[in-house]
Amino acid sequence: METNFILAGFGGQGILLAGTILANSFMLEGKNVTWYPCYGAEMRGGTVNCEIVVSDSDVSSVHKQDTDYALVLNQQSFDKFVHRVKPGGTIVSNSTLVEQTRPRSDIKYVFAPMTQIANELGNGKVANMAALGVLASVCGVVSKEFLAKGFEKVMSGKKKELLPLNIKALESGYNILAQAK
Amino acid sequence: MTDSNEKVLIKGNYAIAQAAINAGCQCYFGYPITPQTEIGEYLSAQMPKLGRGYVCAESEIAAINMVVGAVSTGVRAMTSSSSLAVALMQEALSYAASDELPVVLVNVMRAGPGLGYIYPAQGDYNQSVTGGGNGDYKIIVLAPSTVQECIDYTYRAFYLAQKYRNPVILLADGLLGQMMEPACFGKDPYPEVDVSSWALTGAKGRESRAIYSLGTDEKKQVQHIYNLFKKFEVIAENETSYEEFETEDADIILTAFGSMTRNIKAAMKVLRNKGIKAGCFRPITLSPFPYKRISELAAKGKDFAVVEMNMGQMFKDVKYAIDGKSRVGLINRPVGEWLSVEEIVEAVEKIMEKSYATSIQYS
Amino acid sequence: MQQVFSIPKSMKKGFRYTFCPGCDHGVAIRLVAELLDELNLQDKAICSTSIGCSVFLYDFLDVDCVEAPHGRACASATGVKRARPDKFVFTYQGDGDFASIGLAESMHTALRGECVSAVCINNTTYGMTGGQLGPTTIMGQVTTTSPYGRNKEYYGYPIRIAEQIALCDGTAYSARVALDTIPHINQAKQALKKAFEVQLQGLGFGFVEILSSCPTNWHMTPQEAHIRVKEEMMPVFPLGVYKDVTTEKGE
Repeated sequence: METNFILAGFGGQGILLAGTILANSFMLEGKNVTWYPCYGAEMRGGTVNCEIVVSDSDVSSVHKQDTDYALVLNQQSFDKFVHRVKPGGTIVSNSTLVEQTRPRSDIKYVFAPMTQIANELGNGKVANMAALGVLASVCGVVSKEFLAKGFEKVMSGKKKELLPLNIKALESGYNILAQAK
Repeated sequence: MTDSNEKVLIKGNYAIAQAAINAGCQCYFGYPITPQTEIGEYLSAQMPKLGRGYVCAESEIAAINMVVGAVSTGVRAMTSSSSLAVALMQEALSYAASDELPVVLVNVMRAGPGLGYIYPAQGDYNQSVTGGGNGDYKIIVLAPSTVQECIDYTYRAFYLAQKYRNPVILLADGLLGQMMEPACFGKDPYPEVDVSSWALTGAKGRESRAIYSLGTDEKKQVQHIYNLFKKFEVIAENETSYEEFETEDADIILTAFGSMTRNIKAAMKVLRNKGIKAGCFRPITLSPFPYKRISELAAKGKDFAVVEMNMGQMFKDVKYAIDGKSRVGLINRPVGEWLSVEEIVEAVEKIMEKSYATSIQYS
Repeated sequence: MQQVFSIPKSMKKGFRYTFCPGCDHGVAIRLVAELLDELNLQDKAICSTSIGCSVFLYDFLDVDCVEAPHGRACASATGVKRARPDKFVFTYQGDGDFASIGLAESMHTALRGECVSAVCINNTTYGMTGGQLGPTTIMGQVTTTSPYGRNKEYYGYPIRIAEQIALCDGTAYSARVALDTIPHINQAKQALKKAFEVQLQGLGFGFVEILSSCPTNWHMTPQEAHIRVKEEMMPVFPLGVYKDVTTEKGE
């Protein structure tokens, strides 16, 4: 079974890092995973994005037309990738920066204030971790525990100091939807 | 981490660079070009720590000639570049093939012709396999399809280059260079190659040696070229490698090289689910090319569809191998977004419907 | 009887002399060979050879040689030196090879301060292809591709190689010498020795430009050719040491 993710936002939101953490967490779970940055002409235009394919068995194919999950941190990314979600798929959006619209009826929408969560924790930069937390809470394939391990793997040396704050952001993101209910 | 059995999530470019270190690459010479610049960046940080050679060359022409100089002394050395700049290296590759020097060149392909752009492509099949330099010579070409294979084939490239005293190209593409996958470096599995019979180390206790391609004696030059080709026959016999999947009962065999292999494997599964008996064939060595195996499969009546990101460069070799024994169609896009599994499936169905009387070209 | 002349040990036994009568390549190669003997370098020397009349070097020098494509001798020498820093690495090139097609490689090798030595023969023409205009062809000089003489409108100006190389920070030694008289030949040998020694001392790039005659393509007798070296070339390409880090002297 293969599951595809697109992570997108604007430069500085830590999208590629979030993707790297996600990919590492899949690797630590023993799955096959491929991460690639949107590469080429698509790099232009202000948004940054990467695609991740996780698979239980074989290495995946590349350049998917559609994705199971889109995690978007800004409006531009929402507008672009809402059309790349498979019917029945899910778009997970940062409601702090994305308007809560539903242009398609055949996909699921999740809105959570990722940037706000990060700001409340005192550091807007951890919105990406809050985003991964939200993603883990709605996507059975992604586990919060392995995300934390993935973060540790990526952040070596001095950057380890950032671990507690990032774990807090991850937890807050993970719990936000349950709280809202 | 980088020489153990632990899996690490790593970019193709970094994987190649670290594998080169593990393979004992003593010198790296390079000039930046997207999408392979990380190889040089990585090695610029690592090689000085290891006391090995690193030069930011003034051009690709200089870089590959530095490799020529370094490998002539018996050490392992390499350069890396991308398509249009690999074109600049063709002269030196022709020299190195004639001089029988174990040059290792990594080509992380991007789009052409001319400047093209940095998005990925597979347009250097011809440039690599038939050679862009002058005269008759052959290069060994290895095409990885995953980050793990980037590591494995880098080890193999250094080994084959020295074993056969022949230049080797590791032909990757922008996607492979930029993607991250879990991979394991392990240890370089190949034995050391004895280079003492030819390497230039100073004429101490032996006669002096000269490595050159100048062939003023016509008869000797004729023999030299025959010898080069005889050597390549041995390489073809020993080293031709490929992978095939579910070809046994297949009616149609999807054929691709490099990272497109991944997509034909996925397309094969979809086609099988639809009741079409599809198989997959993937040359690992593009040169020597597995003509023999393709010919055998064609003789069993199996048709082929070649899927590639160029205008049909490998297609010609497959067609040559089939030699009319069965039918073959081409599914391609010249550059850019890899043909998706859906596109491949749709194209295979169309080709079969039209009895291979068409090629499917995506824009 | 005392032997007063012999072939240097670093020259091949029984070689066949293939340069044109009166060509200075023979003297230049002999000087290189004498120095390889005197500095005891034959068994640790690796030469990166070039294309042009100098292509036949491995017929004469009895040292390890690797061929470089036209212009790339300094790049190849860089590779050899980086791979084997303990070896004595040198190039022997013509002016077309060193300063036209290979100018980038030559200059950057000097700029990097590679510890290699380069010898460049300047005869103001492409000798092997039959006397065409080259980077060092002097103003007014008639060649097969400048039949009306070198003028600035069509051809621009010649390069003064030794001066240019001296400007590179990585250069340890740069000099221009000639082979037209015995004193000049002796000076040339001293300059070559210096260019070799700076490599051995790890000081950087050592370079010698040698003004040489090409009687065949100049359509002169050997004697006339040496007069031309003195009267036409030296005013444009003055002899001298342009950089020497061992004495901090430069002109």
